Amino acid sequence: MIITKPKPFEEILPYLEGKKNIFIVGCNVCAAKMKTGGEPEVLSMVDRLTAQGYPVIGWVMPTAACSIRSFDHLVEKNEKIREADAILVMGCGSGTSVIAAVSDVFVTGTNETVSLGGCLGANPSKNLCIMCGACNIGDFTGICPNARCPKFQMNGPCGGSKNHKCEVSKENDCVWYLIEQKMDSLHMIPLLKNVQMPKDHAV
Amino acid sequence: MDSKGTFKEKLQSTQFLVTGEIPSPKGADASSALKNMRQIQGFADAVNVTDNQCATLHMSSLAFSRLVIDSGYPDPVMQMTCRDRNRLGLQADLLGAAALGIPNILVMSGDHPKCGDHPTAKAVYDLDSVQLLKTIEQMKKGYSLSGNSLSKAPDFCVGVVSNADPGERLQMLKLEKKLSFGVDFIQTQAVFDVEKFKEFLELADTDVSVLAGIIPLRSTRMVRHMNANIPGISIPKELCERIYNAEDPVSEGVAIAAELIEQLKPVCRGVHIMPVGAHTNTEKILKKAHILD
Repeated sequence: MIITKPKPFEEILPYLEGKKNIFIVGCNVCAAKMKTGGEPEVLSMVDRLTAQGYPVIGWVMPTAACSIRSFDHLVEKNEKIREADAILVMGCGSGTSVIAAVSDVFVTGTNETVSLGGCLGANPSKNLCIMCGACNIGDFTGICPNARCPKFQMNGPCGGSKNHKCEVSKENDCVWYLIEQKMDSLHMIPLLKNVQMPKDHAV
Repeated sequence: MDSKGTFKEKLQSTQFLVTGEIPSPKGADASSALKNMRQIQGFADAVNVTDNQCATLHMSSLAFSRLVIDSGYPDPVMQMTCRDRNRLGLQADLLGAAALGIPNILVMSGDHPKCGDHPTAKAVYDLDSVQLLKTIEQMKKGYSLSGNSLSKAPDFCVGVVSNADPGERLQMLKLEKKLSFGVDFIQTQAVFDVEKFKEFLELADTDVSVLAGIIPLRSTRMVRHMNANIPGISIPKELCERIYNAEDPVSEGVAIAAELIEQLKPVCRGVHIMPVGAHTNTEKILKKAHILD
């Protein structure tokens, strides 16, 4: 799941100055789960923009903003999009890019795309994967140090953790502590002796 | 101490070594940093030049190491963190350091930018410290990390850092990995508990020279801050009490540092002194520890 957070409303407004037909595209998957682009948030955005005098002509909720068949597919859902001179996407950066790719008018997004995370129950978790393209998460029993260590330490913890907490954010456990706990319980600590070579960033 | 020979040669001798940390200047004028260096120049076996320490902007350790050489000290240890450069930048600076006659490198991860004065900076860490050590080993054989031949292989004396806590299993395991790449010395985080340090040495079980870190304590506030916030440091209650109750905490800190060095002398190859601030008391500490006459 893509983790997003809303940009401050005031940061979005300058992009919409002078626009006469603003159309909003929500996202019914990750952004809906994150409450940054589901139907309630889209309706709230319509109200806020309208209240400030920005002309919103319509909105649409595709299943996923990042997975659109064509512009016509959006038109089928709400033909007002044909008249838009600005499209506001309430999804992630990928969703905004896809909408921009099928549209000829100005497009921008309302969210910051924070990371690739997950959701266990109602609680989203950030930074579970950084999409390195060279996955070896099995070496760490499913806990990725490349994604979850701010220093991307692949060969063991840095010297910066104190009481098993991360140097960068003391609210977070050091990921290497989590790896140690799990691998210890599975009697797999000796596997951590293997030297991890530099990542291939060309993939 | 300070007998003839390079730092690398001294590491292979039996003499007790003293090195000192010299922060690079926080501007283009190096005079005060060099003045600090001169306080230990006469007796230090190596001066250790920091690389944007505490993730805070300083002159590059490469440039300042060369200025140290130009100022008459031939044997700086250039610290190199993995924080600010990718594998191309790190190797380029290593080649530059070799060409400029910098003989020693100390490899470390480096504090995260969020801990320093540019918290919005991108953290690089393209290589971790183990991978950088592998890279250096390969360069010393005449090849870049990508396998291309170098016109001349650098010949560095290479050090690594480590916490000295035998209870940190993965830190110990990481040290073992580091030592698999032809390392010449280990420099530890500050030691305040010599018995625990002995356990660390026993567990590390290595012939590589170990230099124990020494940070002279200066105040109650410093003791409390270090115990609460500095990774790898645990100051025993008895030493804390001595600082809390001292009329002159700085002098008490000098005495404690000297006692620690005396206790460490029989168990490791040397000490690395990292004062908070300048080396004002370093000579005094070493005299008190009977390392200097």
